[in-house]
Amino acid sequence: MDAVALGAADVMTGHTGWRHLVLVALAVSSAAPFALLALWSVQGEWFFPALLPSGLTTAAWQSALGSGTFGLALATSAALASATSVLGCALALPAGRALARLRGWRRHVGAAAAFLPVATPPLALGTGLQVVLLAAGLGGTLPGVLLAHLVPAVGYLALFFLGTFSLWDVRPEEAARTLGATRGQVWWRVVLPALRRPIAEGAAVGFLVSWTQFALTLTVGAGAVRTLPLEVLAYARAGEDRAAAVGALLLIVPPAAAFAALRWAVRRTTVVPA
Amino acid sequence: MSGRVAPALAVERLDVLFGTTPGVNSGLRNISVAVGGGERLAVLGPSGVGKTTLLRALAGLAPVAAGRIAVRGADVTALPPERRDMVYLHQTPVLFEHLSVAENVAFPLRVRRVSNDAVRERVTAALAAVRLPGLEHRAPHMLSGGQRHRVALARALVARPAVLLLDEPLSALDPTLRDEVREAIADVHDAADALDHAPALVLVTHDVDDAGLLADRVAVLLAGRIAQLAAPATLFASPATLGVAHLLGTYQTLPALVRADGAVDCALGTIASHAVLEPGAAAVVAFRRDALTVRSVASEPCAVAARVVGIRHRAHGASVVLRLESAPGTPMLEAELRGAVAPGVGELCGVALERRAALVFPA
Repeated sequence: MDAVALGAADVMTGHTGWRHLVLVALAVSSAAPFALLALWSVQGEWFFPALLPSGLTTAAWQSALGSGTFGLALATSAALASATSVLGCALALPAGRALARLRGWRRHVGAAAAFLPVATPPLALGTGLQVVLLAAGLGGTLPGVLLAHLVPAVGYLALFFLGTFSLWDVRPEEAARTLGATRGQVWWRVVLPALRRPIAEGAAVGFLVSWTQFALTLTVGAGAVRTLPLEVLAYARAGEDRAAAVGALLLIVPPAAAFAALRWAVRRTTVVPA
Repeated sequence: MSGRVAPALAVERLDVLFGTTPGVNSGLRNISVAVGGGERLAVLGPSGVGKTTLLRALAGLAPVAAGRIAVRGADVTALPPERRDMVYLHQTPVLFEHLSVAENVAFPLRVRRVSNDAVRERVTAALAAVRLPGLEHRAPHMLSGGQRHRVALARALVARPAVLLLDEPLSALDPTLRDEVREAIADVHDAADALDHAPALVLVTHDVDDAGLLADRVAVLLAGRIAQLAAPATLFASPATLGVAHLLGTYQTLPALVRADGAVDCALGTIASHAVLEPGAAAVVAFRRDALTVRSVASEPCAVAARVVGIRHRAHGASVVLRLESAPGTPMLEAELRGAVAPGVGELCGVALERRAALVFPA
């Protein structure tokens, strides 16, 4: 067959084998840790050199779900992440909009300021915040940890909404104003409905920033605020592998649910009827 | 109480600055115009002169440097857009994509907290006025370009503004759609007129035909100022300046010299002038294509010898491009082909200027 007549996809068929191999490797590297965690959480006895555990048990699950420790940590994490998500979006949305309206060096400086807490290692950030929050009497408290989580979350989200507002069309707002809408009405009736999807995505990002936070919770919470990541690490360090695996699996649930919800939302909002 | 009714829109000595060159304040200067309720004013000008900026300044979407804007006698210069009683329509129709057609049209009523029954009634009437009944529940992205324009106009109609500002409503539209939207604008205005609340309509355009077809009066904006404000027929027949004549695009010019008696000599003969011109000064004679008559031979009375260098065919007729034999350095002229005389390219003919249709301007 004439090579010129082949489409790009046909020409690439020579690499199909490699592509499949890479995809399989990716799937294994993604799924294997979760499969191992799942197996670990229900292992009975599992010693080297056995490839599989000798028996399965739900004892670790019953213990974890029955004990108050995991439940409290789960509730604390969920409350912190939810609050970070809502407050983070509420603060970052106008911040991102304000940044997008800046021009030239002002915009660069603003974006750099938003990026700073994102780029700073959480441990360093936590150490710095600890001084301020302790002085404010918020060290070791839930509000203190929430404020600490908000710092990187607002930075992330401000940059996220900066991107959104950089492509924003102000004409619907102008049209609404001359049609009689006040600034507040424009915000509620025009801007927010048009931003439903970015806000949903931003809320998910804000939730995850807090949900996976470890160093900030440890430094600012001073051990008094126990979130799920802290409990998982405590079990792992104590050699309680089954309990640590259960906790790790519980950590995965909200991000997985968030991504599933986002995928569903994206599918709902991007389909344009013919 | 005075019997005088305040105009729907009064603009007095308005200055609007724009431009991006540091230190250079380009902009609009000393703009004054009044538009009555139900009147249609077209602001005509070349691209970049500030037509859209003027409209945005009137709507409260762009800052005003000086001057006063009054709507029905009330000063609105310092008021926010929503309190000016003016609706501004962008060049391309801007609809709220998350709302249905009916909810788009209902928007001005929703923000004014009008009752649901009244909203239904007025939305139905507005959609009927723009000939879009039955599309209430359709999403904006499912509408054609013309339908989107109609929805935007219906939405403006239900707001019942004192002034409707249209920014280049017909530019970038294909000829069929231009007719459709032009018709929709007329529909909306007529519907509002029937309800006795026809707004003053101000539309900006760079298209001379649109200005003539849609407006009762035309304000020509040149170099930041209103160069002429007149009814379309007056404007087209008697442009006030050479710049206006050039903008209209229908005038061609010849250089001329002012004689001692005040008339001017040009390559097509002597033209009487009403302008006060210095004898010996340079002048310009301007005339339209239809002011030139092509003769079969140059020997006919008042005809000047010219050679045909091209023929232009248009949908509404043909014209010839001529080079004057006696003044080869002058610009080419274009004359409409009427009657039996139809010289071919390269042939010699005669061309005569109808003196009364010629205008004289200082050079």
